[in-house]
Amino acid sequence: MNLEICNLTKSFGEHTVLKGVSLIFEEGKTYCVMSPSGSGKTTLFRIIIGLEQADKGEIKGIKGKRFGAVFQEDRLCEAYSPLDNVMMTADRQVTRETAARELCRLLPEESITRPVCTLSGGMKRRTAICRALLAFWDILLMDEPFTGLDDATRKEVISYVREKTAGRLVILSTHQQEDVEALGARLVRL
Amino acid sequence: MKDHMGKSWRKVLIVFFWIMIWQLAAAAIDNHIIIVGPWETAAAIGRLVPSGEFWRSIASSFGKISLGFAAAFGAGAALGSLGFRFPVFSEFLEPVMTLLKTIPVASFVILALIWAGSKNLSILIAFLVVLPMIYVNTLAGLKSTDVKLLEMAKVFAMTPWKKIRYIYVPALAPYLISSCRIALGMSWKSGVAAEVIGVPGHSIGEKLYLSKIYLNTADLLAWTFVIIAISALFEQLVLRLLSCLAPKGGFHES
Repeated sequence: MNLEICNLTKSFGEHTVLKGVSLIFEEGKTYCVMSPSGSGKTTLFRIIIGLEQADKGEIKGIKGKRFGAVFQEDRLCEAYSPLDNVMMTADRQVTRETAARELCRLLPEESITRPVCTLSGGMKRRTAICRALLAFWDILLMDEPFTGLDDATRKEVISYVREKTAGRLVILSTHQQEDVEALGARLVRL
Repeated sequence: MKDHMGKSWRKVLIVFFWIMIWQLAAAAIDNHIIIVGPWETAAAIGRLVPSGEFWRSIASSFGKISLGFAAAFGAGAALGSLGFRFPVFSEFLEPVMTLLKTIPVASFVILALIWAGSKNLSILIAFLVVLPMIYVNTLAGLKSTDVKLLEMAKVFAMTPWKKIRYIYVPALAPYLISSCRIALGMSWKSGVAAEVIGVPGHSIGEKLYLSKIYLNTADLLAWTFVIIAISALFEQLVLRLLSCLAPKGGFHES
């Protein structure tokens, strides 16, 4: 089922962030939402995953659906290891061994059992991405997921994301045009 | 390593310095009722240790004060959690907790003596002194929980148990540990003070009271050192148990 956003409006006080936004995201496709900073991408994502209420409009096709998310911040439990963080939210079928194997595709092996607070910003970002990909979800939202990654790592992570999300609905925000091509995504301008 | 050894030696020398000052003061005053020196105190401890009554008194006071502390810890943590979950409940409890924090221990002791008698007085007093500290810090710890992590847990539909274990407990642990450091000492101070006033049989407080009656300053100081030692041991034990709350990097659920 497609995800359909109809005439969505959201204001914070006097400031209108989203004004009559209407979009359709087709099931099984990847979309890159591009727009200048402060134009409401994060707010739109927060409304879709149920963390904010829209002032007007509606979203169709999300009833009973489970979401995965990569937030703009990493939102990891810093005292726990990347492996623990992944296991906290992982799909029931994901074993600790599977999670460790998947994490090792994005992170150095020695780092996956160290507390997250000892990792670099890029490693934390990759942990947050892996956590989202190994969780149980029908729709995945990724808010600027590749921020803080160098070019080589970015390519590796994009390739991993493509592999893990093939045939499922993914909506991500980015400021980089090349991400759209690398992900084989459709571009949406807000 | 060398630096650590240096620090240890410095501590030993500082303690030795103050023992010497104590000895010099005792020698200068030369009155065993006003003050006795460290050797007389050590001799008094040596005299007390082999007796069965010494261990019975320690066991009795330790058991009662620990029980009061444990009950207050459980009740404070439970009430604090309820207060966090239901803010109306915390508003409802606020005057009681404020009252418990401000009423002098001596007033508590006298009231408790009238209500409950002297036998279990130290349990009640340790409980009433520790309860508001644990309650207030539980509430503060839970309120400090990272809202962004709670949002993450909501999106990923984390189970309540996982939320408690990985989000609430790590936020709460520092508050509980720091409040316990203070509460543990306070439970011993107030518990023994209650025993001195209530004079229950076979208790440390009773022994302190008898030392006062017989003007036996050596025994008074000996029992004081015993209280300090037990209190420190109890603190270490509880803090070790609480440190288990901290994450160790292990997660064994599928």
